[in-house]
Amino acid sequence: MLRAGLGVFGGLVDGEMGIHDESYGMESQEPGLEFSPNGELSHAAGCRRGFLRRFLFSTDHKTIGLQYLWLALLCVFFGMAMSLLMRVNLMWPEAGANFLRGFSKTPEHYAALTLLHGSLMVFFVLTAAPQAGLGNYLLPLQIGARETAFPHLNLLAVWLTAASAAGITASFFLAPERGVQLWVVGVAVFCLAALLVAINFSVTAIDLRGAGMALPRLPLTVWAWFINALLSVLIFSILLAACALLLSDMWIGTRFFHTAFIDRGALGASGVAVVTWQRLFWFFAQAEVYVAMLPCFGIVTHLLATFARRPVWKERAVVLALCGVGAFGFCIWGGHMFATGMNPGMPMLFGVLALSLGVPASVLLLSWFATLWNGRLLWNTSALFVLGFISLFLSGCFSGLFLAREDIALLANGGDFVSGHFHLVMGVSATFAVLAALFFWFPKLFGRWLNEPLGKVHFWLTFVGVFCVFMPMHWMGLMGRARPGMDAAAARHGGVGTFITLAALVTVAAQGIFLFNLLETLWRGELVLECNPWRATTLEWTDRAVDGLRAFRGAYEFDESGSIDDFIPQYVAPDRVAYRQVSRSG
Amino acid sequence: MPSTTLEHEVELIIEDVGGGGKPPAPGGGDEDGGGKGRRGKQPSPRRYYTGITLAIVSILMFFMALASAFIVRRGTGTDWIPVHIPVILWVNTTVLLFSSFTLEMARRCLAKGNLVEFRALWAGTTLLGLLFLAGQVMAWRQLFLQGIFVASNPGSSFFYVFTGLHGVHLLGGVAALLYVAVRDFAKAKVSRPVAAEIVGHYWHFMDGLWVFLLALLYLGK
Repeated sequence: MLRAGLGVFGGLVDGEMGIHDESYGMESQEPGLEFSPNGELSHAAGCRRGFLRRFLFSTDHKTIGLQYLWLALLCVFFGMAMSLLMRVNLMWPEAGANFLRGFSKTPEHYAALTLLHGSLMVFFVLTAAPQAGLGNYLLPLQIGARETAFPHLNLLAVWLTAASAAGITASFFLAPERGVQLWVVGVAVFCLAALLVAINFSVTAIDLRGAGMALPRLPLTVWAWFINALLSVLIFSILLAACALLLSDMWIGTRFFHTAFIDRGALGASGVAVVTWQRLFWFFAQAEVYVAMLPCFGIVTHLLATFARRPVWKERAVVLALCGVGAFGFCIWGGHMFATGMNPGMPMLFGVLALSLGVPASVLLLSWFATLWNGRLLWNTSALFVLGFISLFLSGCFSGLFLAREDIALLANGGDFVSGHFHLVMGVSATFAVLAALFFWFPKLFGRWLNEPLGKVHFWLTFVGVFCVFMPMHWMGLMGRARPGMDAAAARHGGVGTFITLAALVTVAAQGIFLFNLLETLWRGELVLECNPWRATTLEWTDRAVDGLRAFRGAYEFDESGSIDDFIPQYVAPDRVAYRQVSRSG
Repeated sequence: MPSTTLEHEVELIIEDVGGGGKPPAPGGGDEDGGGKGRRGKQPSPRRYYTGITLAIVSILMFFMALASAFIVRRGTGTDWIPVHIPVILWVNTTVLLFSSFTLEMARRCLAKGNLVEFRALWAGTTLLGLLFLAGQVMAWRQLFLQGIFVASNPGSSFFYVFTGLHGVHLLGGVAALLYVAVRDFAKAKVSRPVAAEIVGHYWHFMDGLWVFLLALLYLGK
């Protein structure tokens, strides 16, 4: 039992998990480990590695990927709990004050709660889970590499991320001045970790692709992780620089941004210098949205093709669109500066740039719909979450169009409209993509099936719930209400606030279903008995050793016939595929 | 299409869904051969070249962000007092540029197999790097004596932050130079020439970065 439990964290499955043992054993092969003739890691060799090396300080990319995913799971539940606290405090301040004791009585603590919710969700869930978590586990497998390029840097990165999460969480419990300092240190450490992951992923995708894995044959997930890694190399360096300047303001008395961030008394005197901070911050933060979304685009496209049993429509255009999202996403930071004042020509430029992001977004949407068109989609929970993602993304695109206009953005900046917009398009939709990926790759990750009926109940409650929470926020924002503060009377505006809070309560409660499903499956879920249960084409689903693999074809060779062999895996050589003429009644 | 029409199709039959291709290469080593599928006992060092290139891009973005903050802060604040660049910085710059030259000389000696000269020139490069750092500290000291401290005004803050952060990165370069000098490359994943070239890339970048920062401080004062 203990061994099974440890296996869950370490990515090594228990012996009962059948056929997957072989692939796990072979793929995580390290020099010096012993393998039996059928490829299984021998028990003696496994024991010699010891607990620490096997589970905590393993350089194995699968173990590290799972560690990121577990961290994200922990943070997402913390983050949701905090959002509930905020909503409850907003609606019923008296109850909130009693419940939170000292926390909600001061604006600092309320702000800290918002900050902690945002930073846990953005850094450790939206950035870490789709990129570092799923990417670490799957990118090397999908390109036929045995490991990432720099496994020790990878290990360092996961521990820096964990340290950063601990620091950022601990900052909440300190006095405001010290808390903010610790928070900035935590963010700087996270930047370092993200840079290490980004460099590692980029090099892995560039130099460690297995035999035959030419660029046109890369799965779109790999393209997305790769482009995202390149974008991360650029933007996390900027945030790191901003943190370095901020810390020097705090520690050695410089005045790059003035002391407005730690000394409320000086806030009014430093309006000019704050623009310096805003430029650096939005340079990072706008692109960070695409850092969270890019891997999700890759995952969704990949899953849609597999479920629809069809090649991705205009695969190359999708790759270009992913590049376009990265490039435009890097350039539209100025959209957040409309309200702060800038060169009169610049809002026009940034507005046009922001709108041009619609081109790659449209290409992606077109490809998804065309892949679905007249297709016979396999209806399962993962597919539902994929469709949910598309729906949320579309909603976010439409409200994004409003925000790309300078006049409306001026009106809506900092209000509920923006809150609703980015929660839908970034937070929730990215979470949907991660959930879709989890349901899809769970057989690979743990050798078991997540419970489908429970998954569907979870999906529908969440899907309806998030629309009920965030759509009314758009409306409230357009009504011109300010960002939620401590003013509870305004929040009750027309009962919409109460509706949002109740919807949030139900939605968060629904996540308990997922947690139950996850834990129950790990404990006694249905075993996966075949190696490639989804009949997918990519290399991670083979039980062959990575050394013997060669990619002979693209990642999406499906033929829609609905037969058991309606796909050709990437590793199947042309001379292993026979073509025959058949005739059938049309 | 009428339902009675006979439609010819090509149906795919996969003879071996379990896998294909050539059998695993025996003793394929610890590394993957990269996109071309090369495999052998000596791992390809390409990943290290790509890695250092990306690291350089990342560091460049870091300093570009600082430079952007420099320009914006200088243009918007009223409390900016320009810092007069200490003369010793020009000497330091010469020292650093010369160290790049000795590093390339050392690499050339290594390529010819002249290990003794390589070691001497490599050690010379390391010493020049340390000399540069010592010179930077002296420049700081001169400013201290003039009463210009890090917190005096945004102009002086940027001077100290630019020189300090560049110094920290260069210190990393010195550590890398020492590593190449003392490491036993018989047991390493890369050969000494490869390691020397990768460190060389980083060192030259630090060189160019310093010239850029100095120009920024000089022209932007």
